[in-house]
Amino acid sequence: MSFSDGVQIKGVYAHLDCLLTGIEDLKSAGITGWTVQAPLPRHEIEEAIYEGRPAPVRWWTLTGAIAGLTAGFLLTSLTHAQWPMINPGGKPVVSLPTFAVVMFECTILFGGLATFAGMIVHTGLPSLWLPKMLQDPRVVDDKFSISFTDAPASQRERIEELLKASGAVEVTHGADTIYEVPNA
Amino acid sequence: MEDKYREANRPATYAAANRDIIRPLLTPTAMWFGAFVLAIAAMLYGGYCWYLQITWGMGVAGIKHPTFWGVYIVTFVFWVGIGHAGTLISAILYLVRSRWRTGVYRASEAMTIFAVMTALLFPALHLGRVWQMYWFFPYPNQRELWMNFKSPLMWDVFAISTYFTISSVFFYVGLVPDMAIVRDHSTGLVKRIYNVLALGWRGTHKQWHSYMAAYGFFAAFAAPLVLSVHSVVSWDFAMANTAGWHSTLFPPYFVAGAIFSGCAMVITLLMPMTILFKWEDYVNTWHFENLAKMCLLTSGILTYSYAMEYFIAWYSQNPYEQYIFWWRTFGEQWWIFATMVFCNCIAPLVWYYRPWRQNWTILFIVSIFVNIGMWFERLNIVASSTSRSFDPSTWDLYWPTAVEWGILIGSAGWFSFWFLLFAKTLPGVAITEIKEMVVPPVKGSLED
Repeated sequence: MSFSDGVQIKGVYAHLDCLLTGIEDLKSAGITGWTVQAPLPRHEIEEAIYEGRPAPVRWWTLTGAIAGLTAGFLLTSLTHAQWPMINPGGKPVVSLPTFAVVMFECTILFGGLATFAGMIVHTGLPSLWLPKMLQDPRVVDDKFSISFTDAPASQRERIEELLKASGAVEVTHGADTIYEVPNA
Repeated sequence: MEDKYREANRPATYAAANRDIIRPLLTPTAMWFGAFVLAIAAMLYGGYCWYLQITWGMGVAGIKHPTFWGVYIVTFVFWVGIGHAGTLISAILYLVRSRWRTGVYRASEAMTIFAVMTALLFPALHLGRVWQMYWFFPYPNQRELWMNFKSPLMWDVFAISTYFTISSVFFYVGLVPDMAIVRDHSTGLVKRIYNVLALGWRGTHKQWHSYMAAYGFFAAFAAPLVLSVHSVVSWDFAMANTAGWHSTLFPPYFVAGAIFSGCAMVITLLMPMTILFKWEDYVNTWHFENLAKMCLLTSGILTYSYAMEYFIAWYSQNPYEQYIFWWRTFGEQWWIFATMVFCNCIAPLVWYYRPWRQNWTILFIVSIFVNIGMWFERLNIVASSTSRSFDPSTWDLYWPTAVEWGILIGSAGWFSFWFLLFAKTLPGVAITEIKEMVVPPVKGSLED
C-alpha cells in the first residue's frame, strides 16, 4: 500500500532488444524508480542497468573467507595450545602445515555461507510480499517487463508513451498492472 | 553428427523449456512408484541390519582383528567419490563456460548431495556406539581431551561437512529461479509451497544482479572442494604407515577415481530419467558422450596410477610394499583386483570407438561396470592392506557378512529414495540455464 500520490505503471515486452531500448530511453529521460523483470539473466540487461558496476556480494564473500581462515587457525592452534603436555616428538604443538586443511575448509565454509547471506540481503529475498504488480508469472515464463510501483502521477503519460515507443507489447497503469492468470 | 545433438539441446522458446522440463513433476507413474517402494524396502532392510548390529555389537559385521575398516569405509569412500562428478560438472564446468554441462548439471548436483548424505551414514554405521557420534565434532568434552587437528580423520570431518554444506547451498541457490517457474505453473497449496521454497523469486534486475554474482562465487568455492575433499579422504589412508596405503600418489589417484565413478553414475542415473521423462531435447547423446569422454580421461589416469603403484613398490625395494601388491594380484582375493582392473581399465576402452560411445545401451552397461569397479577398487585398497599387515601372525582374510551386505543394500535404497523424490518434486534439468541457450526473442537485432 502506498501513501503517496504515486501510480503503478507496467510495460510488458516480448522482445529483448525492445526492453533494452526502453531501459536506455528511461535513463536518457532521467526517469528513475523502475524495476526490470526478466525470465533469465542476460548480460545485456545487466550492462544496461549497472554499466559494469559489480554486485556488493563480493565484500560478503571476502569478509566471510577471511573470517573463516582466521577461525580455522584459531580453532586448531588454540585447541592444541590448551593441551601442550602431549609431547609431539619434538615437533611444534602449533603446526601450520597440519592445520592448513582445517583452515582451508573453514575459509570455504565461512566464505560460502557469507556469500549466501550477502545474496539474501542484496537480492531482497525472501520477497514474498512484493507489490502484486511485480508478481507477474509472465516475467518468470517468457516475457520481460519494466514496472513503476510508485511513479509520480504527473509523469504517467510521459512514461507510458516512452514504454510504448520502445516496443512494449502491453502498457498498463493502476489496477490493470496486476496480471490475473486466465482460468487460475 | 555432434552439431545435430548440440542444436537439439536448444529449445525454441523460453516457455517451451519451462513446459517440457516441469511436465513430469508431481505426477507419479507406476514405474516411479514401484522404484520408490523398492527403495524404501531396501532402506528398511538396511535399517533392520543396523538394528542387529546395534543390538549384538560389531561382531555381526565381520569387523574384527586385523580388519577394522571393512565395507563401511569402502562404501563411505565410494559414495563420497560418486559426489565429485556433480561438483565438477556444476562448478568447474560452469567456471570454464562449458555448454554441455547445462543439461546434466542439476541431476549431477542432486546426485552429489544424496551421495554425500549416504556417505555420511557410514562413519556413524562404523561406530559401535552410534549414540556417541557427536564425538566426531570439535568440542571440549568432559574429559578435556580436545580434538586432534593433526589427524587426517579430523580433517575428513571438516572436509566432508564443508563439502556437504557448500554443495547443498549451491544446489539450493541454483534451484531458486526454477522453483519459481514450478510455482507459476501450479495452483493451491502446491503453489504456496513452491513460492516459499523459491523465496518469492520474481526475477527483478536487483535479484538477478546479486544472484549471478553469488552464483559465480559459489562455483569458485566449490571448484577447489572437488580437488580437496577426495585428497583429504585419500589421506585417511596415505597418512597411515600401512603397506599399500602410504603413498603420495593417493590424492590425485583418488580424485581421478572419484570423478571417474561420478561421471559414470551420472550416466547410470540420468539416462533412464531422460527416457522416462522424454527429455531427449535437453539431455541427449552429446551430453552422454561428453561424460564418457570424462570417464575415458580419468580411467586413463587411474590405469596409470594403478601401474605406478606397482612401479613404486618395485622401485622402493620395500619388501612389505612389494608383498602387498603381489598379494593383491595373486593372493587369495586376486579376483577383487581383477574385477577392479577389468571394470575400470578395460571396459571403458570400448568408448574410444565413437559409434559405441554414442550408443546408449553400451554407455549404460559400461557405466554400470564402472560403478562396480570403483567399489571393488576401494575394497581392494582397504581389505588387502589390513588383511596382510606387517606381522604375519595377525593375518586374516576379510569378507563382508550378511549384515554388512544388508547395510550396503540399505544405503543404495537410501540414495535411491532421495533421488527418486528429487526426480518428481524438483526440476531435474536446470530450466533457467537451458533458457540461456535459447536464441533470445528480438524484433530487430542485439548489439554486441
